Amino acid sequence: MDKSMSQEGLALEKKKKFNLSQWIFIGPHFIFFIVFILFPMIYGFYASFTRWNLISSPTWVGLQNYQTILGDPTSSFYRQFRRGLINTLVFVAGTVPLQVIIPLALAIMLQHRGIKGKGLFQAIFYIPGLISVSAAAIVWLLIFNPRLGPVNNLLGSEVTWVVNQPYAWMVIFLMTLWGSIGGNLVIYRSAMSGISRDLYEAADIDGASGTVKFFKITIPMIKFPLLYTIVMSTAGAFNVYAQPLMVTQGGPEQTTHVLMMYIRTLAFGQGQSVAGMAAAMSILLGLVIIVIAAFQFRIMYHNAK
Amino acid sequence: MDRTKSFVITKWASYILLSITALIWLLPAVYAFTTSFKTQSDVMQTGFRLLPASWVMDNYARVLSNSSSAPIVRWFLNSVLISTTHTILMVIVVSLAAFGYARLDFKYRDTMFFTVLAISMFPAVVNIIPNYMIVHRLGWVNTPLAVIVPGIAAVGNVFLVRQFMTGLPKSYDESARMDGASDFTIYLKIIVPLIKPVLIVTSIFSFTGSWNDFLWPTIVLNDVRQLTITAGMLLLQDIYGNYMMMGQLMASAFLAMIPTSLLFLFAQKYFIESLNLNTGLKG
Repeated sequence: MDKSMSQEGLALEKKKKFNLSQWIFIGPHFIFFIVFILFPMIYGFYASFTRWNLISSPTWVGLQNYQTILGDPTSSFYRQFRRGLINTLVFVAGTVPLQVIIPLALAIMLQHRGIKGKGLFQAIFYIPGLISVSAAAIVWLLIFNPRLGPVNNLLGSEVTWVVNQPYAWMVIFLMTLWGSIGGNLVIYRSAMSGISRDLYEAADIDGASGTVKFFKITIPMIKFPLLYTIVMSTAGAFNVYAQPLMVTQGGPEQTTHVLMMYIRTLAFGQGQSVAGMAAAMSILLGLVIIVIAAFQFRIMYHNAK
Repeated sequence: MDRTKSFVITKWASYILLSITALIWLLPAVYAFTTSFKTQSDVMQTGFRLLPASWVMDNYARVLSNSSSAPIVRWFLNSVLISTTHTILMVIVVSLAAFGYARLDFKYRDTMFFTVLAISMFPAVVNIIPNYMIVHRLGWVNTPLAVIVPGIAAVGNVFLVRQFMTGLPKSYDESARMDGASDFTIYLKIIVPLIKPVLIVTSIFSFTGSWNDFLWPTIVLNDVRQLTITAGMLLLQDIYGNYMMMGQLMASAFLAMIPTSLLFLFAQKYFIESLNLNTGLKG
């Protein structure tokens, strides 16, 4: 009797100790998570329903910010959101497909048994991804400098690249691709290296062409890495900020002024902060990202079946 | 016969396309490097010339001695301090949390972890404005803490490290616990040594991520002397670029690129591994 009591006590004590121990381990991260992710997210939703200048306490205005942004064509916020979102979508449409297709093509070429120096090629394509976008932008601005840059001097052209469309977008796209194909390339290569040679050899015996093998064997075998890279590249592209800021400052005539630039200026710009409006715009941008990611999952899943 | 012919054709076609792409990919960095050693009169020459007429160190001497409008040495040291501290803190906090979620038994453990993970998946753009308010309240604006600490909250690294810890046999902890080892001893002496490669990978990624971060530092650091080198690049166009001082501009950009590129050369193996980890191809 006495013995079982003490055992029970021991078990209880052990359980109690476990509870403390668990918080020693997950506690520090959990606090950071609450302070810098959960609370800001909730506060961001709240702020989007307020008028707020970041310093004094926010004033509740209900749906007013959303009504202005989405439904008041006379408001500059409406025009900024619309223009910013369209420009962001142009960036997404201009970069994401190539962020998948170019590394996929390179990965297939690097898979060729006759190619030597694969590691060197991979390193050349990968290293630009480790360079900050701001340093890269400074370099690309020289490359496309109308008078001193190698591009115009090599081609003998006189295009003033970053101040004219469509050239401004072309420079931004190229510089983005330069810094973003390496990661996807490595993922595709390692996925392809996992495909059994037997599959290709069996297809060869059936007389399948390279195109057939690519669509019937390679693509289905790497569909999950492919889906992962498409979703991640798209979400990343929606957050575009540094490239247009550094290369074109949003010009010419605000045609490359992306939504993050407007959000940043509204919340943290020189004049009076309109953080409530900026918060509403960032919620809307967040929703667009989620909807598109869900859409991509659905399509890919259906096709994969 | 036909097979070998197509093998040779596709091989050479691949070589040509790969080489052209590689040349385009190399040109900017190589051109920036050589330009950083050109004299100003050399820079202003039109016509394409890759190599300097004579190699000079003037541009580096100039940018390194600028201590007012673009104090690049200071920025570089700021970045080293910030990225290193961030990385060390991250490894400690993340490995502790991953141990808790993977190796300890407590009620609602997995529910709690996956709730935290799901919440963290919401696009981070929403957090930026409130995070500024928090950092401001904490009195961290214009201090390194503003860029060191908030990133520690990210859940992706916890997920990755937890995956690896879950894969280790339970018997390791149990036999150690029999011998009277505490949870902390098990964490430090048994689990951490076993998952060292994953911790190295997450460290490398945290370091490069922190070094290259642009948007957040430009929001919370507005004193020129407190900037990171990545955020500082924003000012250089006005200081050197508008005066066509391309040599100094390229020397600055080159200094900003060195640490992460060097890290790659020394740890290429881990970089490639880590990309495989993220997609869960090998886990």
